[in-house]
Amino acid sequence: MVFTSVNFILFFAAVIVLYFSAPLKWRWLVLLVASYFFYINIKPVFAILLAAVTASTYVFTRLMDQTRKESRKNVYKVINIILVLLPLFFFKYFAVINNSLIAGLQGWGIHWPLPEIELFLPVGISFYTFMAIGYTIDVFNEETPAEKHPGIVALFISFFPLILSGPIERAGNMLPQFRNPVNPDYDKVVKGLRFMLWGFFMKLVVADRIGIYVDAVYHNIPNHNGTTLLAAFFLYPFQVYADLGGYSLVAIGVAGILGIKVMDNFRRPFFAATMAEFWRRWHMSLITWLTDYVYTPISFALRQYKLWGIVYSLMITFMISGIWHAASLTFVAWGLLQGIYLSVEALTNKQRANMEKKYKLANRGWYIFLSCLITFILFGISQVFARSANLQDAFQVLGKIVTEPGALFIGAPSILIFSILGISMVMLKDFTDEYYPGRFLLFENRNKPVRVMAYSLVIVLILLIGVFDGGEFIYFQF
Amino acid sequence: MLKKLFINFLLVAAVVAVLDFALGKVLRHFYFRESSGLHYRTTYSMEKADADILIFGSSRANHHYVPEVFADSLGLTFYNTGRDGNGIFYQAALLKSVLKRYTPKVIILDYAGDFGKGRQVYDNLSSLLPYYQSHPEIRQEVNLRSPYESVKLLSGIYPYNSQLLTIAVGNLDMNKKRKSDNKGYVPLETEHPVVKEYFNSLIQQPVDSNKIESLREFVRVAKASGTRFVVVYSPLYQEHKRYWEIEICETICKEAGVPFWDYSRDSFFVQQPDLYYDPVHLNHKGALIFSKQIASRMRDVLH
Repeated sequence: MVFTSVNFILFFAAVIVLYFSAPLKWRWLVLLVASYFFYINIKPVFAILLAAVTASTYVFTRLMDQTRKESRKNVYKVINIILVLLPLFFFKYFAVINNSLIAGLQGWGIHWPLPEIELFLPVGISFYTFMAIGYTIDVFNEETPAEKHPGIVALFISFFPLILSGPIERAGNMLPQFRNPVNPDYDKVVKGLRFMLWGFFMKLVVADRIGIYVDAVYHNIPNHNGTTLLAAFFLYPFQVYADLGGYSLVAIGVAGILGIKVMDNFRRPFFAATMAEFWRRWHMSLITWLTDYVYTPISFALRQYKLWGIVYSLMITFMISGIWHAASLTFVAWGLLQGIYLSVEALTNKQRANMEKKYKLANRGWYIFLSCLITFILFGISQVFARSANLQDAFQVLGKIVTEPGALFIGAPSILIFSILGISMVMLKDFTDEYYPGRFLLFENRNKPVRVMAYSLVIVLILLIGVFDGGEFIYFQF
Repeated sequence: MLKKLFINFLLVAAVVAVLDFALGKVLRHFYFRESSGLHYRTTYSMEKADADILIFGSSRANHHYVPEVFADSLGLTFYNTGRDGNGIFYQAALLKSVLKRYTPKVIILDYAGDFGKGRQVYDNLSSLLPYYQSHPEIRQEVNLRSPYESVKLLSGIYPYNSQLLTIAVGNLDMNKKRKSDNKGYVPLETEHPVVKEYFNSLIQQPVDSNKIESLREFVRVAKASGTRFVVVYSPLYQEHKRYWEIEICETICKEAGVPFWDYSRDSFFVQQPDLYYDPVHLNHKGALIFSKQIASRMRDVLH
């Protein structure tokens, strides 16, 4: 049941009715039942894993709460993290490691006793695992008290708008909202609907349209020239932004309609002038999670190495981020590249600041534009690794872009034209939000007819040029 | 709060409904005004075609049967309804529309050899959406797209989703620059196939029983119409790695007493690069040779 399906709309309408007609003290139950129904709908057996992760997290956070001994609390924390990570490791990495060992050892004439296997990754496992770990660490650090109500913990880990692709929320934000639900609020409902509408636009009109072109190119790399691969190079970051960004907006909107505030996940990422700034705007819930639970502890432990400690911490954090996405060399390379970008920036930060000050560059339009473009290109290079099936393909794409110019593959012209139209609309909105906040508003215009026309035209555009057969969201595979 | 929300919701819904209705009417008008291209060929096949011989199938049908060969050899009129990317559901729907109007003397179904599960063939049924309201006989097939298709089709724009540019081109001067078809047939001119591992990707797919049922129904309906009906599996550059799919088709035809002509292993065509556009499509030269063979066999059937 993807957000863009009719089934989801019907499901959500039923949830709204049941949720707001239930007494306040039972609303958590409505959401919990709805969340498990939503998840079971994908594949019932996966709900067992979800329940197991929830049970383990509940038991060990309660044990931590009841223990005063720091060392014992630490043991409970570590045990729960290991238990929660086990399914993720098994489903995401075991098959890859096993099959690599079979292939690797075969070359040496050694027989690996296990057969080659292929496992179906439970959807959302990477997301709810991180939420469970985050909660465990928060309880250990006494930033959040352990929730006594098992149903509220279960709801936090399984909350249906977030379970498949985030945003990766924190217990400190969500648990109090589940405990103390609020009655419907007109502004929140309208804001939620706006988020959903723009999210649908981003996914159906932009992401899935670009996806047709990018898929056609990446499925047949040897037969495409550098110009075509360059077009795919520029389009793919927009596709991912519109896909995950669109998903996040729908998730935030759905939660918002239910009166639950969820953190933002994207903030106009392509207007970032540095990679560090980019990562403060892109997939923010993952990055803040990694910052709090991986980067900060590591950089604290390595603080005696000063700047180099930061570099090591960055490299480790983004390698983990890469491996979190997928157990493949392409994502290791992706993480490595991000680590390198950010490390180089960290090492040259002073010089850059001095140069900007000396030549008064910081507020110059061309300098900002150039910085944003360079940031986009650097991110685009890393996305070639994310999109390619293997390292060989990724290097082939990058090599051909530089060495094999030629005529652009167009296919059906409407694909590129509609893609460019969609990207332009999203970027125009981001541009006005970034540089003219509070001006040129459409959805939030004071004038009601303008608002009504804006909503209506976006709906008509979705009907007219949206891709209704586009399928799932990219991040479901992670 | 609910009242305010409801009123505003209704207001937006009303504006959307008006825009949807108006734009839908405009799109419909220009869609049916096209005089070339895929849209036009589907409209012609469903509503106007009256040829003695009708070819049904996907792109392989469309690019493999040359009209002049059949007209000259059999002395009958000919139209090729094959459409790129459209599978057995589209063909079954089209057959029902045609038979509602008239019964051709000969029907040839070029079976594309795919019983594998996959969304694509269902998604491609979107090519029939503009005809849903005016052709109730195709609804069974179109409804396979999703359980909500009839609800979605309350929208005026939805049947023309993503077709805006194609409709515009079909109504502008650019239309004249389009490569025109020859009684539905569109020749492929390139001579050297890019041999890809095309069929390897199909091996693991499970069987879609809807497709088997749809083929069964096509065969039953065509046979019952009293036309001379033949099912053909046209040539491939390399051997089909899911040959059992062809055997299923053969069995269905045998059970219905319909001739099944299998060219998938014909040594005249296998591994002959100069006859192919790509591994699954003959070029014009290959299509000419193949059409002559089919026409010759058809002559025996007719006499």
